[in-house]
Amino acid sequence: MRFRKSGLKTKGLYFLLLLFLVFPARSLWAQVDLTGEWSPRIYNDGRDVGDYTGIPLSEAGRLRAESFHPEQFDLPENICRPHSFDIGLRVAPAQLYISPELDSATQQIVDYHFHAYWSDFRVWMDGRPHPPEYAAHKFSGFSTGKWEGNTLVFTTDHLKEGFITRVGAPLSPKATVTTRVTRFGNYLTMVFIINDPAYLTEPYIRESSWVYDPQQVIPAFPCEPSPEGTIIPAGSVPSFLPGKNDILSDFAKEYGIPPEAALGGAETTHPDYLKKMKTMKTLPRTTTKHFERQG
Amino acid sequence: MKMPYRIALVRIFMFAAGLALVLAAHLGAQGFGNQGRGAVQNPATRAPRAAAPKDLTGYWESIVTEYWRYRMVIPDKGDYVIVPLNAEGRKVADAWDPAKDKAEGNECKAYGAAAIMQVPGRLHIYWQDDTTLRIDTDSGTQTRLLHFGGSAPANRTPEWQGYSAASWEGFRPDSQRAGGGGPIRDVSVGGATGAVGRGPREVGGETSGYLKVVTTQMRPGYLRKNGVPYGANATMEENFDRFTDPYSSETWLVVTTVVTDPQYLMEPSITHAHFKKIPEGSGWDPTPCRADEAR
Repeated sequence: MRFRKSGLKTKGLYFLLLLFLVFPARSLWAQVDLTGEWSPRIYNDGRDVGDYTGIPLSEAGRLRAESFHPEQFDLPENICRPHSFDIGLRVAPAQLYISPELDSATQQIVDYHFHAYWSDFRVWMDGRPHPPEYAAHKFSGFSTGKWEGNTLVFTTDHLKEGFITRVGAPLSPKATVTTRVTRFGNYLTMVFIINDPAYLTEPYIRESSWVYDPQQVIPAFPCEPSPEGTIIPAGSVPSFLPGKNDILSDFAKEYGIPPEAALGGAETTHPDYLKKMKTMKTLPRTTTKHFERQG
Repeated sequence: MKMPYRIALVRIFMFAAGLALVLAAHLGAQGFGNQGRGAVQNPATRAPRAAAPKDLTGYWESIVTEYWRYRMVIPDKGDYVIVPLNAEGRKVADAWDPAKDKAEGNECKAYGAAAIMQVPGRLHIYWQDDTTLRIDTDSGTQTRLLHFGGSAPANRTPEWQGYSAASWEGFRPDSQRAGGGGPIRDVSVGGATGAVGRGPREVGGETSGYLKVVTTQMRPGYLRKNGVPYGANATMEENFDRFTDPYSSETWLVVTTVVTDPQYLMEPSITHAHFKKIPEGSGWDPTPCRADEAR
């Protein structure tokens, strides 16, 4: 009889359990699915050489940027050089495919694979540590992530020296990039915060967005140096010595911007800089139709 | 009829395990273990001010790191690079006449809701009441009212800042479904066994959720200072997110803006703006709307 009573109690508790099941409850996790095809909606801003506007470059960063020559990308060694992951996601057209990799035994997400037309990297979600500083640095870096609410936040280091723009603003191997990935319905927004003690005086923050596009097909991107060679003679590395960049001020002249402002720096990013700019001289403009060449 | 002792033990064990999982689901759903205040209760049951998952109030300064040449200077006439303008939009943009705007008292055309976040300046965000979040801008001295729980009244006269309906979003995967897109894993009570499976949990001090604002009834204005138009039927969706950069410890507000305008745009235009938290009142510099200056 004791067990019969106990059975009744158990049934009562089962009923209680049923009530819990019936009551609406929210998800155990604040997980948002990022997987799938994403079509870019960042439009390449087409920076010109000498356009470092808004970039908090340090003196060292500016020196490196000013030595850049656009023909460096035509060197055989650079033809197939990958972009660092941040700029690789921002160069149009950076179609993106995100897929999780699951551990077959535990079904835990081991990593998210970000595959873009110009960039490819993994974000490790399994709690593994970052490798020691002496480990290999790559253009894709090494990324570990975690969820903060509905936002995937990942940190990337072990980056190879590269660029943060396509006109030579440099990125050092000491840089760390924090990326925040948030899905707003059909939109995916990434916020990149670049901390680079070598070339930046402040964090450089910028964003990109994509639109969910399940029909998207990312084309193949075969790349190999032309068998005929490149336009750059062997043994030559195009560059500018300090103070000898004769195309540096072209951007400022075309856009009517004070040359000093065009060289960037943290101060130029603040609204109050507008007052200072009023006191600066601009160079005679060479055109007001600069935008026509960008299509 | 006595129940065998072992069977009773197994039943009790199974019941205890099931109850633990269900309780975990409910407690997890109620935000237990979260450090943020907003995830504690379903926001639908609380006043919007009390339910705010993130505190967006305070003073914020725009940091112009991208599209500097379109924001810190007035772009040249005809420069609508990266705006998906259609032919009619280009025609209107090509007819831009700031002197005419000034003479007709339309200097606030570039300070409307669809553009104001792009104008360099500062924001003061505060609760006007429990259901209205207010944004004052020092550039153009504009005021935006974000109404929670309301909808735009019919036959309202269009204004520069339109009517903004606000909601807290991103509390649960269900809310992400509204936008369509890829499959959303929703491990609610029915899938409670997933509690030991894959998936991120809320970690760190950040909480789930963001502010979504949909603005309509805007008076036609400019997306850019150089007369790139948006029309009377344009609608705007914004998502506001706040976070702290772990490296610099600076707090940021990022606004993703999607403007849809069947009259002048070929497709929705997506822009971003980010603001750094600043001490109360610091640098506040109210300026009137000006057709011939960047702010």
